[in-house]
Amino acid sequence: MITLHTNYGDIVIELDFDKAPKTAANFKQYVEDGFYNGTIFHRVIDGFMIQGGGFTEDFEQKETRATIENEADNGLQNLTGTLAMARTNDPHSATAQFFINVKDNSFLNHSGKNSSGWGYCVFGKVTGGMDVVNKTKGVKTGSKGFHQDVPKEAVIIQSATIA
Amino acid sequence: MSQLFISDLHLNDSCPHITRAFFHFLRTRAIHAEALYILGDFFDVWVGDDDDAALAQEVASELNQLNQQGVAIYFMHGNRDFLLGESYATKAGMTLINEDVVIDLYGTPTLLTHGDSLCTGDAQYQQFRTMVRNAAWQQEFLSQSLATRRAIAAQLRETSQSMNSMKKEDIMDVAQDEVIAQMQQANVTRLVHGHTHRPARHILQINDQECERIVLGDWHDHGWCLNATSSGLTLESWAI
Repeated sequence: MITLHTNYGDIVIELDFDKAPKTAANFKQYVEDGFYNGTIFHRVIDGFMIQGGGFTEDFEQKETRATIENEADNGLQNLTGTLAMARTNDPHSATAQFFINVKDNSFLNHSGKNSSGWGYCVFGKVTGGMDVVNKTKGVKTGSKGFHQDVPKEAVIIQSATIA
Repeated sequence: MSQLFISDLHLNDSCPHITRAFFHFLRTRAIHAEALYILGDFFDVWVGDDDDAALAQEVASELNQLNQQGVAIYFMHGNRDFLLGESYATKAGMTLINEDVVIDLYGTPTLLTHGDSLCTGDAQYQQFRTMVRNAAWQQEFLSQSLATRRAIAAQLRETSQSMNSMKKEDIMDVAQDEVIAQMQQANVTRLVHGHTHRPARHILQINDQECERIVLGDWHDHGWCLNATSSGLTLESWAI
């Protein structure tokens, strides 16, 4: 069980080590290393997802470990309240950034082993504090530099702990 | 006789099977056609006609052979290869056509467009599009050395390498109101485009008139083309 302590409250997460072993281990390692402490949810789109775990409050992108293999072909679905890894257009490019689905986003699921069908790997779900997620998805957002959908008032992961 | 429409091959060095499949398509299918329309994102990236990369040269030579055998080839820019210019087109035996050209397809006026201008829900992308489709921006870009241009292209790719590749479902597709607006403006009942990688044939009503929007497919595991003959249209795909 992992808890993200945010300035909006705690989000409790259960990782799926059975279905997404590499992705879950990767996330746990970042938590243990304290990587997420002080990172923000920098991309918040109501009706879609909230994304974080890569930038500091000053919008500095943190240096990550190497990219990981995409395990999106594990059968887990991008349903409301699930956690999945963010990535670039390269399917196997996830590092630390993750997102929490705030809607059933079936179009993000794996549909084929090519760059348009790989999908986004679900590796866990929110088991407590969904109200905090819902509060976050509703915050006011705007543009900041090259980024859009940035919360006007930062949603900060003050620390992440393992119980 | 037929006219063939393709788009979104995204030809690049790391996917030689797509290039092979395309050459096969030229030699076995396109050779029997009267015209081949390429509606953009034919190349995955284009930094200028003076780029001496082998892939572009091979493709030009294949296309030119096809043209020599009497097949007209028309090329429309996509959001990846918008810098492809007259000089390369000439070398490849292609005629450049403008985005949103209307052709007479066996009696039906048909609007052709790449498709990215229809995706108005993606404001961030439209902003980028406005920048790179600007003549002054293009001129300045093309005035740089080839090495610099390659570096800028890599940098632009890097920016799109941000971890924000997942986008809300509806903004990645065309906006229906923009489809209707562009079709009305062009006064057509049929639209053919690519870009969205969502191959399909959609029937829609505009002013009580039945209209059709045909979306070409991207080449990945499958090749795609729209085959138009005097007896009708078929959207075809085959494993590659």
